[in-house]
Amino acid sequence: MREPQDLKRKAPRAAGKKDGTPSADEIVTVLRAFAVGQYGGRVDLARFEGTPLQEVARAVNATADHVEAEIREARQRIDTVSAGVDEAIEAMVRLVIQGDLSGSLRLGVADAALTPLIAGVGQVMETLKKFVTEIREAALQLSTSSAEVLAAATQNESSTSAQASAIHETTATMEELKGASHQIAENAQMVAAIAEQTLSGARTGEGAIKEFMRSMENVRKNASEVDDAIAKLSKRVERIGTVVEVIDEIADRSDLLALNAALEGAKAGEAGRGFSIVAAEMRRLAENVMESTKEIKNLITEIREATHAAKEASDGNKRTAGEGEKLGSNAMTSVTGILSGIQETSDAARVIHLATQQQRTATEQVVQSMGEIEEVTRQAQSGSKQATGAASELTKLAERLAELVKRFKVD
Amino acid sequence: MSAETAETTEILLFQVGARLFASVVHDAVRIGSVRDVPAGELVVGTALGMPFARERGIVVASHGDGAERTLVVDHVIGVRPVTEAELHPLPAFAAACLASGAVTGFVIVDEAPVLLVDLPTLVREHPGAAPQRAA
Repeated sequence: MREPQDLKRKAPRAAGKKDGTPSADEIVTVLRAFAVGQYGGRVDLARFEGTPLQEVARAVNATADHVEAEIREARQRIDTVSAGVDEAIEAMVRLVIQGDLSGSLRLGVADAALTPLIAGVGQVMETLKKFVTEIREAALQLSTSSAEVLAAATQNESSTSAQASAIHETTATMEELKGASHQIAENAQMVAAIAEQTLSGARTGEGAIKEFMRSMENVRKNASEVDDAIAKLSKRVERIGTVVEVIDEIADRSDLLALNAALEGAKAGEAGRGFSIVAAEMRRLAENVMESTKEIKNLITEIREATHAAKEASDGNKRTAGEGEKLGSNAMTSVTGILSGIQETSDAARVIHLATQQQRTATEQVVQSMGEIEEVTRQAQSGSKQATGAASELTKLAERLAELVKRFKVD
Repeated sequence: MSAETAETTEILLFQVGARLFASVVHDAVRIGSVRDVPAGELVVGTALGMPFARERGIVVASHGDGAERTLVVDHVIGVRPVTEAELHPLPAFAAACLASGAVTGFVIVDEAPVLLVDLPTLVREHPGAAPQRAA
């Protein structure tokens, strides 16, 4: 708004033909100045005295006066309102700086135009008061929550650390388990190989036992045949013995006869000499026969003893063969059991080998997974540390916020 | 005197136990088998000793009663001629020491002295055996 001085200063004068007849142009000039906000100009009423434009000139001047008065009044109100606004702002600033929101705004300037402003400022203060109250409560809650978060984060960090340690130990154990699985797999493979070798050996043994049993059967058959032969031989020997007994008896009687003949020859003296010689010869023959029969008897005795020994040996062979067959049968049963056991052992070792290989693969996967879990846990541990740091920082900030909010007095 | 021209005597050599004995052939009726003679008629244990094998029996004619007795011996060696020089009477001291009167002397056989026994006297000294009736 322009100053009245400026209006006056710039107001055009109703110049013109002052010295001549007053014209409407002079009035128009003043009105045109009004139109551009210059209310300082006036129409020279004296020049229009007594003219038809006299009333017009008066009305123009009266309008200009009224407008100027209105302008002055408006300027005064503006100054009053400005002062009120300044005071309100200053009071607000002061209240905000002091943090005292408990009171209400009271201005030294009373103007109806300031009423909405005062109402607005009061509303702003109420809103601010509400905000501060809410912020205080929120800060309190935030402080509590951040403390809880800090405690939880600390607990989580501790748990994560313990978890990381446990996972590390579990990983180490799984590594050992992997090694053990590898060792078990190798051992199982070795057991399977040994079982295969043993199986082969046992099968060879089974064949040897069968061969042995066949040999024992042959021995038993041969022993029976030897028995029969010995029995026949014994009968023959007995028969020979009987014959020899007869021969021996004959020889004995011949010897006896020869003795008596020699005796009679000797008794006969010279006449019986030839008879004695024949008798002596007969006796010698008889003695030779008896000697021979004695040798035969001895031989028969030896044969009897030999056949008896052979019979006993044959019986022993039969018993041995029978026992051998029993032992072979037992051994065959045992070997069959051993074969079955070895086969089961071989199968079991193979299954163990496969199982341990699968276990090894699974353990490797577990180890790998544990490594990933360990990495994730490490990251979680790092995150927990960060969360703990953030929670700690948040707690501090919450405390700081609470401290700041405390500066605002709302009650 | 040479061996070819000297007088010889036939003796019967027999064995009882481990010892060899001799008798003149005329003392023996015959030689038999012990098995053929009943046990009660055998003369087993005499002054000559106890036979072991008991293979032979020397049938002896007992003087006086005509009965025969069988002296059991282990073995009859045979008949053998000996010279008179080989026959010796029993020394008086030896005869005095012997309880039996059947030993009459000794004869050298193969350079060894063999007691010469009177078989009839020997079987008579043995009272246990029943006499056999002569065939």
